Amino acid sequence: MIELLLTVFSATFFVTVVRTTTPLLFAALGGLISDLSGALNVALEGMMLIAALTAVIVSVYAPWYVAVLSGVAAGAMLGALMAFFHLRLKADIILVGFAVNILATGGTVFALSRATGGDKGTSINLPSKAVPGVDLSFLEAIPAVGPTLKSLLSGHSILSWLGVFMVFAVWYFLFRTPYGLWLRGVGEYPAAPEAAGIPVAKVRAWSLVASGALAGIGGAQLAMFNYIGFTRDMTAGRGFIALGAVLLGARHPVGAMLAALLFGIFEALAIVMPNLFNWIPGEMIQTIPFVVTVLALILFSYRAQRARQMRTLSKI
Amino acid sequence: MSTTSPSRWKTVRSETGRALTALVIALAVALVVILLTSADPGAAFQTLLTAPLSSNRTMGLWIDDVAKLTLTGLAFSLVFQARQFSMGVQGQVYMGGLFAALIAMSPIGATPLAIPVAMLAAMCAGAVYGFIPGYAKARFGASEIVSSLMLNYIAILVVNYLIRAHLAPAGTGQLMTAKFPDTAIFPAILPGTRFDLGIVIALVSALAVWFLLYRTSWGLKLRLVGHNPKFAEYAGIRSSFIMVSAMTVAGAFGGLLGSVFVQGRAFGNLAQNFDGNLAFEGILIAIVARSRPLAVPIVALAYGYLRQGAQLMGIRTDVPTEMISVVQAIIILLVASSFSLPGKKLFARLRGQKSANAATPEAAK
Repeated sequence: MIELLLTVFSATFFVTVVRTTTPLLFAALGGLISDLSGALNVALEGMMLIAALTAVIVSVYAPWYVAVLSGVAAGAMLGALMAFFHLRLKADIILVGFAVNILATGGTVFALSRATGGDKGTSINLPSKAVPGVDLSFLEAIPAVGPTLKSLLSGHSILSWLGVFMVFAVWYFLFRTPYGLWLRGVGEYPAAPEAAGIPVAKVRAWSLVASGALAGIGGAQLAMFNYIGFTRDMTAGRGFIALGAVLLGARHPVGAMLAALLFGIFEALAIVMPNLFNWIPGEMIQTIPFVVTVLALILFSYRAQRARQMRTLSKI
Repeated sequence: MSTTSPSRWKTVRSETGRALTALVIALAVALVVILLTSADPGAAFQTLLTAPLSSNRTMGLWIDDVAKLTLTGLAFSLVFQARQFSMGVQGQVYMGGLFAALIAMSPIGATPLAIPVAMLAAMCAGAVYGFIPGYAKARFGASEIVSSLMLNYIAILVVNYLIRAHLAPAGTGQLMTAKFPDTAIFPAILPGTRFDLGIVIALVSALAVWFLLYRTSWGLKLRLVGHNPKFAEYAGIRSSFIMVSAMTVAGAFGGLLGSVFVQGRAFGNLAQNFDGNLAFEGILIAIVARSRPLAVPIVALAYGYLRQGAQLMGIRTDVPTEMISVVQAIIILLVASSFSLPGKKLFARLRGQKSANAATPEAAK
């Protein structure tokens, strides 16, 4: 137990948490935007998976930032595809989302075997690149706290820093710009913005595109920083966990970030625990993020329900 | 169903037409993909379309798939009719498979009771696993989509662990259990093929789900809740009870599928990751069948053919099996949406019909 505490309160663990949280954070922000616009995006998983593969394949031929951008573009295109089928052709958003997920699980394996010449498991024989880390070793020069600061802050992926910035950017967009107001209005009560002359379908379509783009960054981080290269089904439920983070985050970017952080911590725990407790079977440790998601979801929904009931009661 | 016969036939005709159009479009896309990627596109496409009929063995594989697809399609139909998006069939399959295997490997497995008891155990396990997200939603308001998906991952990991550490024959390092005794494996209807009891179970289940949905008051309430939860609430139906019970019953069918998997002639044991992602393909079956239990086996027959063709294409030619997921996605997208072909309105006007043909209510939703 002591070892576990020592590990958890070490700088390396913090770095692992940041690494595991980043993909979840981007996907959760993406899910938040589309959820606020009134379309629950269950395709985060598939978008991340396709973006991850796109980024890996492009990174073989182009610099890392082009690869990340192509992952973003892939996610955005899937968002546009969902918008087209959901808004123009009136298909149910959840069914459309699962169609994207099905396309992703099979399509990535198909594309992977095409790109690698028959390998259906990993992209190990493709020389793919990584997102560079941000080196902040100059912080060490600060007296007293320098080395600690350096070990905590140096070496994170550029995308992790972008993630922190995105939380702020999404918050600013949603709560301080007119478009953000439109978006929330469309999700809250579409008839009102419709009457005010706001193009409801357009707002929803763009929020799905933005949602896909954000999930795409998450996928790129996963395949170009957390792991270098693509493996079959590498998202392993992260998109769905991110969806849980959206629901858990009280429909607020900061809430989504905290929820993503919570799940990131438990994912990091699942990474470090096998070294500490070799008597616990690996599969059981791997279930931790999923179990935590279910429990957190139930607990939070219960609290939200209670709060609603209290509000109604106080009105009477 | 209170609709009169002619209009029902019209719905059936138009739905079949839509499904077939979607299939043709999807196959056209598949053909393009094959043309772009294969060295011998003709052979690949021909394998996709004709290989399942090539021998008794492949036909057995096809029918085996049809049985399993029917069951997963029924499980999804039940929850979709109640307008719940519980995606937990995969987890239920694993739990059902696990419990069926436990019974088959216990002393009961060597007695003639093995098959019914194992099926019952699997159904109970699946029902419990379907009940959890339903209860979490009804009692706490937790999204059934997320919780059921999380439970899928948990079930797969737990079953894989139990197989690796406890159920596999010790010391062999195998990731599957030993073969069950013969009494616990479904008898083959045609000897030497996989044409076994599974298909009978699937057809009986389809009839049972139809009876539950359309001939019992529970089914009427369930469809009402799915169609218009507010009205159902006003009519005095306890929608949360219906919701939970729909997911539980669907879970029982998911569990039954688990037992069909492990006790069928295809496996006859419990292996890691045995479902091969088939459980999720029930979404497609349920959507195309518009969640009608009696249409599910027919859709499963057609889709199972395509699926088996893709498997054989993956083995016999240079096009990977996974190509079929493109076809799946397109079919779901097209059937779930109210698409119409660009020329359709013009065609209708030319024939002198009213083009303002009201869209059929989307029963799948």
